[in-house]
Amino acid sequence: MIVKFNNISKNFGAIQALKNVSFEIGDSEIHGLLGENGAGKSTLMNILGGVLRPTEGNIEIDGQEYSFITASIAKELGIAFIHQELNLINDLKVFENLFLHNELVQGKVYLNKKEMINKSYAVFKRMNVDIDPTVFVRELDTLQKQLVEIARAILFDSKLIIMDEPTTALTNKEIDNLFGIMKDLKSHNISCIYISHKMPELFAICDKYTVLRDGKFIKSGFFKDINEETATNLLVGRSIVEDKNIKRDQVNSEKVLEIKNITCEPFFRNISFDIKKGEVVAITGLFGDGRGELSESLFGARKITSGEVLLDGTKLNLSSIKNVMKSGISMIPRNRKERSIIKDFSILNNVSVAHFTSKHKKLFINNKEELERFERNQKVTNIKVGSPKDLVTSLSGGNQQKVIFSRWFELDSEVYILDNPTQGIDVGAKFEIYQLINKLAKQGKSIIVFSSEFQEIHKIAHRCIVMYRGDINKILTFDQLNEVDVMYYSTGSNRKES
Amino acid sequence: METKAKFDFKEFWHNKGWPFLRNIFINHNYVVSLIILLIIGSFASSNFLSFANIINLVKSSTFIGIIALGMTLVIISGNIDLSVGSVLALVAANTAVVFNATHSVFISLLFAIVFGAILGAINGFFIGKAKVASFIVTLATMTAFRSLTIQQGQGGPILIDQEAYYGILREIAYGKFLNIPNLVWIFVIVVGLVILLMTKTKFGRYVYAVGSNEKAARLSGINVDRIKIYIFSLTGLLTGIAAFLYVTRFGSVDTATAGKGFELDAIAAVAIGGTSMAGGRGFVQGTFFGIVVLYAIDAILTSFKVPAFVNDLIKGILILGAVLLQKALDRNKK
Repeated sequence: MIVKFNNISKNFGAIQALKNVSFEIGDSEIHGLLGENGAGKSTLMNILGGVLRPTEGNIEIDGQEYSFITASIAKELGIAFIHQELNLINDLKVFENLFLHNELVQGKVYLNKKEMINKSYAVFKRMNVDIDPTVFVRELDTLQKQLVEIARAILFDSKLIIMDEPTTALTNKEIDNLFGIMKDLKSHNISCIYISHKMPELFAICDKYTVLRDGKFIKSGFFKDINEETATNLLVGRSIVEDKNIKRDQVNSEKVLEIKNITCEPFFRNISFDIKKGEVVAITGLFGDGRGELSESLFGARKITSGEVLLDGTKLNLSSIKNVMKSGISMIPRNRKERSIIKDFSILNNVSVAHFTSKHKKLFINNKEELERFERNQKVTNIKVGSPKDLVTSLSGGNQQKVIFSRWFELDSEVYILDNPTQGIDVGAKFEIYQLINKLAKQGKSIIVFSSEFQEIHKIAHRCIVMYRGDINKILTFDQLNEVDVMYYSTGSNRKES
Repeated sequence: METKAKFDFKEFWHNKGWPFLRNIFINHNYVVSLIILLIIGSFASSNFLSFANIINLVKSSTFIGIIALGMTLVIISGNIDLSVGSVLALVAANTAVVFNATHSVFISLLFAIVFGAILGAINGFFIGKAKVASFIVTLATMTAFRSLTIQQGQGGPILIDQEAYYGILREIAYGKFLNIPNLVWIFVIVVGLVILLMTKTKFGRYVYAVGSNEKAARLSGINVDRIKIYIFSLTGLLTGIAAFLYVTRFGSVDTATAGKGFELDAIAAVAIGGTSMAGGRGFVQGTFFGIVVLYAIDAILTSFKVPAFVNDLIKGILILGAVLLQKALDRNKK
């Protein structure tokens, strides 16, 4: 299948996610799509996969022009999209998932289970994997789930499979296995679009590349003609590469937060580290490393089974979130939409929430004070709003996150826990958030950032803790910090050898 | 030098009048259905729009209206309370017993309020602490409390000492102050207090926050479990007040039928009042209008001499119509 994007543009309101993107994906090729978060990769793939419609431009598939693609056209053409968060139903069996919405029937009514199971066996055999189609999907591990999605694509004769960061949760061995299957697919004339941030993988598996940056097409070509450094340069643009020589300020030696042997089975165990005044510590790892649960435990949102946390030398009572807040710890949770934003509240009221729970003492709310609080924080976080009384959902992701930052800045805490603080926001807003974090550190606040993006960690952290399956695998200082080592320790490569 | 500004209607309309009307149409469109119904009502009978008639509407709304205020908080927080009718019956029956024993208005009222709050807190405990869905918990207590009440009255009514009733209690429900029935005063004051609670206090904010995004509320330090217990206790407390007024009004409590179906009328009033059934959004004053609309429908059907058997059919259709009208007006918001 040959896919040609012709001058594709896509606007979301005032934001232009794609600007005149044109390039081609050839027959039987594995095409790497590169770009930072917010570069427009997902938007483009959603257009190809039939989820979104382009504002301008068209897509040419095997010579036929489409001004947009719907889900049913995508299916007819044989385009399968494997999303990063897998689209399987845990409470159905593997074969039921494979044939979901395409069930084989007997006499128009009854499900032909036997035939579906047989066909499932056949497709797994072809892929050379060992999965029992009659088990429930919830019993599978992440690789197996990924393989079920690929099996579904093969089962319905897909010609093009889009894989959005398929390896984030996989170990090295599993990745090799996946690549074997992709090469086999290629020999059967099935193309792949492979989205990933991991350079070594892209170079290992892909034939051609295309780089997007800020919604614009930058370059296409063969991987064999470039190296990792040129690829990175294309990816980030020169301006950002230049700040490679950034230095971190010396931090005070005064310990603010000491974490001693905290454990919360089965998520993490024996976690010990400390944070000094004005220090930014990043905690990273891969899916299943327990870092999400760790962030919750430090904020009192999840009970620890053993260990203790000291703040300024006194033991912290982690029994309730309110307690932890009052002791001087704030947390900006991951997944803003689900955990931070109160969607029916105005911008103004969203800022006030944490203030009310930990500082407000009066019987009645004072509207004037509330507005003053908002304006004071708006100056710091630079939120762009029409009216503070508008609903918070009227803002862009970046501005919403700044509202959440304002909510917690109001508490003026000693320690800030930031769990994936730049999730789903554009490059410009990210940069502003990094500035905010650096500014906080300069003011003497101690900051723990949970992040999965190396670029981000490199821009803000003094030290980086790498976690692997619930343990601290390695602590890297800023001087030791590089992407290869972070990946090495987060995949647990150092452990498997021994 | 100052020239005395002449009243400029155009400017006034542009700066104040139109934005005010627009705000009503878009954010408080429950008022619109009431106006439409009042117009329909005025065709039905010439004195429908009379002051006395409207006061009468509000007066008959009082019992379920006060309950519906609690229901508003419950629904804004993303829950439901099916037990209010049974709570009313149980509290009313025991308030009658307490009054018979003490002949004291004050003690009876205090008892009704405290007992109502306790029954509500029982709901709240299972919902907030044991994390059982509110629909299930209140379905269970609805049945259980009713059964308890009927057992207490052995299937029949619980009567109040007639002499004492006529002596002191009855005046509360039938009396007037400044030519307006006491019940209306009480209702309006309670509405005012609940509006104050929901718009001017932290607690009100928390109720909205819990209904809009429970996880975010919790991660902002709100003790969600406790807020839920408070909400259900408050609803019980308000139902207790309604139960006390019920006793003063009727002078006896029929244990099998008292308060039966009140939960549905209360929920209907909240829905007509524009509160989102998904939680997070709503206005207490909307519920006030909602309950009046509900009784206006009743009054209109009576004056049009609609046969009693199809009364509820038409009422059902009108409720649906009122809510659909709101949806249509809501869409303009975007």
